[in-house]
Amino acid sequence: MRVSVVLRYVGTVMLCLAAFMMMAAGMSYMNGMDSGFYPLLLSALLTLTLGAFPLLFVPKAMAITNKEGFAIVVGSWVLACIVGMFPYLIWGGEFTLVNAWFESVSGFTDTGATILNDIEQLPDGLLFYRTSTNWIGGVGVVMFALVILPSLGASKMSLSNVELSSLAKNNYRYRTQMIIRILLVVYVGLTVITTLLLKMAGLRWFDALNHAMSACATAGFSTKNASIAFYDNVVVEMILVAAMLISSIHFGLIYATFLRKGNNIFRSEIVRIYLVIIGISTLLVTISLLDAGVYTTIWDSLRYSFFQVVSLITTTGYATADTNMWTPFAIVILIFVSVIGACAGSTSGGMKVDRLLLFCKLLWARIRRQQHPNAVIRIRVDGVAQEADMLNNVVVFIVTYIALILFATITNTMFGQDLMTAFSSAVSCIGNVGPGFGEVGSMSNFSQIPAILKLQDSFLMLMGRLEIFGFIQLFFLKWWR
Amino acid sequence: MPLIKESVMRGLGKRVTIGFLSIVGLLLASGIISLFELGNMSNDTESILSASRRNMEMAKDMLKSAHEHSQAVLHIALFDENSYRDVCRRTMGDLEGKVATIRNEAVDASRLDSLSSAVATLREVADNFLSTPKAPIAPAVPVVPQNDTLVVMLPVDVVAQPAASKGGMEWYDDNYKVAYDNLVDEIQEFMTHIHSSLAPRAEQLNKNAYRSVAPVLISLVVLIAIVLMFYYFIAVYCVKPIAKINKSLSDYMSYRLPFSIKDDLLDELKELVDNIERLVGLSKQNRQ
Repeated sequence: MRVSVVLRYVGTVMLCLAAFMMMAAGMSYMNGMDSGFYPLLLSALLTLTLGAFPLLFVPKAMAITNKEGFAIVVGSWVLACIVGMFPYLIWGGEFTLVNAWFESVSGFTDTGATILNDIEQLPDGLLFYRTSTNWIGGVGVVMFALVILPSLGASKMSLSNVELSSLAKNNYRYRTQMIIRILLVVYVGLTVITTLLLKMAGLRWFDALNHAMSACATAGFSTKNASIAFYDNVVVEMILVAAMLISSIHFGLIYATFLRKGNNIFRSEIVRIYLVIIGISTLLVTISLLDAGVYTTIWDSLRYSFFQVVSLITTTGYATADTNMWTPFAIVILIFVSVIGACAGSTSGGMKVDRLLLFCKLLWARIRRQQHPNAVIRIRVDGVAQEADMLNNVVVFIVTYIALILFATITNTMFGQDLMTAFSSAVSCIGNVGPGFGEVGSMSNFSQIPAILKLQDSFLMLMGRLEIFGFIQLFFLKWWR
Repeated sequence: MPLIKESVMRGLGKRVTIGFLSIVGLLLASGIISLFELGNMSNDTESILSASRRNMEMAKDMLKSAHEHSQAVLHIALFDENSYRDVCRRTMGDLEGKVATIRNEAVDASRLDSLSSAVATLREVADNFLSTPKAPIAPAVPVVPQNDTLVVMLPVDVVAQPAASKGGMEWYDDNYKVAYDNLVDEIQEFMTHIHSSLAPRAEQLNKNAYRSVAPVLISLVVLIAIVLMFYYFIAVYCVKPIAKINKSLSDYMSYRLPFSIKDDLLDELKELVDNIERLVGLSKQNRQ
C-alpha cells in the first residue's frame, strides 16, 4: 500500500473541510467577528496546511488499489473527526477534549447527539460549522471529496466500494461517475429547496439553512436547545418531515423518479415496505398516546407521533416532544424504528430496511424449505434474485449489529446507567440516530454520561456509519490482501 | 539539451521551501491568535477588577451619603435646624446619582431595582416630612436613645443636645429609620452581590485562559504531524531515490550492470536520472 497516495487523497478531503471552516469563519466575520471567528480561522488554516502538504510532494496516482481506497475512506472519516474537533477545542466553553471528539464524531457520522447543555450560547459561525459537519458527513466525506479530485478514473470505484453498502450499490445501476453526480444533484437540490421552504415558513435565513442542511443529512443538529419543538409550528414540522423522508430514500431512486425512469420510488419494493413501516408505527404510537391521554386530541397525537416516528426511522433525531413522557409501548415502537433505520443508499444510518426485508424473506424461505426440502427457492428484491453471498452478509451484519448493541448496553450499565438509557443510547449511537430515551432523551443530551462512555459511543457512531465491517477492517489492514 | 536554471525556487527546492514556510506561517498565526486571546483576557481581567473596585467605592460613598442624610434629617426633625436642609438635598442627590450610575453600568439592571426603590422610599419619607408645615414645638425633653442603633447613628453634638422635639423623634423612629435601615441593607446587599458576581466572571476568565493556550497547543500537535509527514516525504521522494541512484550508478561503474531507476521521481531527481542515462549512453558509444 502506498501511504503517500493515501495521504494525498485524505489531504484533499481535508481541503474540503478547511473550505467549510473558512465559510463558517466568514459567517462569524459577517456577524461582527463573534467569538467563533478566530477558532474557525485558525482551524481552517491548520486543516488547510495539513491537507495541502501531501499535495506538495505526492504526484497524482492514476489508479489506486482496493486496499488503498479503503484506507482513504476510513482514514478520511477518522481524520475528519479529529480535525473537526479543532474549532470546538479552541473555542472552549463546554468542549473538553472528549466532548469535542464526541461532538465532532456525532457531526460527521450524522448522529446528531450532542454534549452541549446550551446550544444557543454558541456563536453563529460555530453553529454553522457544526451543522456543516452534518452536511459533509451526509454524503460521505470521501464521496464528497471525489467530485473535486482531478484524477479519478479507475480509483473511483475502489473508493465507492467501501463508502456505499453493497446493497446500495446494487440499486444504483449507474456507473460510478454518475453516482457522484446523482448524489450531489439530489443532495444540493434538496437542501436548497428545504432552505427556501423553511424561510417561507417563517424561520430566519440562518436557522432555515442550518435546519435544511441537517435535515437533508438526516443528522439532527439544531440551532435551538429545544430542537424543532422551539418553533411549535406545524408547517415547519411538515417541511422537515418531507425533507427527512426524501433524504432517507435511495438517492438513485429519487434521481430516477425525477427523470421518470423505470426503477423509481413508486415501483421500489423497499420504499413501499419502508413507508408501510412508517404508517403502521405512526398509527400505533398515535393510538397509544391518545389512549393514555398524553395528548387530548387525535390531531395532536398524530402530529407528534408522525414527526417522531419519521425523525427516528430516518435516524435524524429532531424532537418536537419529550418522548420520555410517552407510553412504554410508544417508546418501544420508537426504539424499534431506530434500530431499523431507513433505506440503503441514502444519508441515514441504522440497520436499513433493505436488510430487514431480506432477512424476513430469508426466514420465510427457511420455513418453506422445511415444507419442501427439495425446492429451489430464490430470494428476490424488486424482481432481482439475490446472491447467496449477499444474503449471508445480511445475516452476519444483523447479528453483529445486535451483538454490538448488547455489548454496548452491558458496558453502559457497568458505568451506572439505567437500563433504558444504556440500551437506547447504544441503539441511537450505532444507528446514528442521536437522541435515545431516559437520561439521553429527546429533550436531554449526552453531557452527563462518563467520558469513557462518550468515547465508546463515538466509536459506535463511526462503526455504524462505516457499516461495522468497514471500520473493523481498519484494524486488520496489515493482513488484508 | 535544455539548460538547467540555477534557481533554488524550482522543483524540489520550491516544495521544501513552501513546506517550511507553511510550518513557520502556521506557528506565527497560532502565536498571533494566542497573543490576541491573551490580550483579550488581560483586558477582561482589568475591566472586571476596575468595575468591581468602582462599584465598591460607590457603595461606600452611598453609605456615607445615607449616613450624612440621616444626620441632617435628625437635626431637622429634633431641633428644627433648617440649615441642614441643604445637606439633606445634596446627600439625597448624591445617593440618586450614584444609583443611576450603577444602573447604567450594570449588565443586569433589574438586580438593582430594590436599591433604587429603597432610595426612592427614603426620599419620599424625608420629602413628606420636610414639606409638611411645622406643628407647635413640643416641650423640650431630654434625648433618651431608644436603642443601640440610634446611639450609633446620633452624632456627638446631637446626643449632647439637652432637649429635642418629641414629635420629630417619633417620626424619625417610626418612619425615617425604617426606610434608612432598608436602604443600608440594600447597599450591603449590593456590596455582597459585587463579590458574588465575581465568581462566574472569574470562571469565564479561566475559560478565556484556556482559549488563549489552546491555539498554540493544537498548532503544535498539527505541526508535529506535518513535520512527520515532511520527514516521510523527504525520505520517500528525496533520500530513497538518491540512495537508489547512487547504488545503481555504483553497480554500473563496478560491474557494468545496466543503470535503471524505475521509481516515480520528482523534478531535479528525474532530470538527474535522465542526465545519468544520457551519460551512460555516451560512455557506451565512446567505448564502442
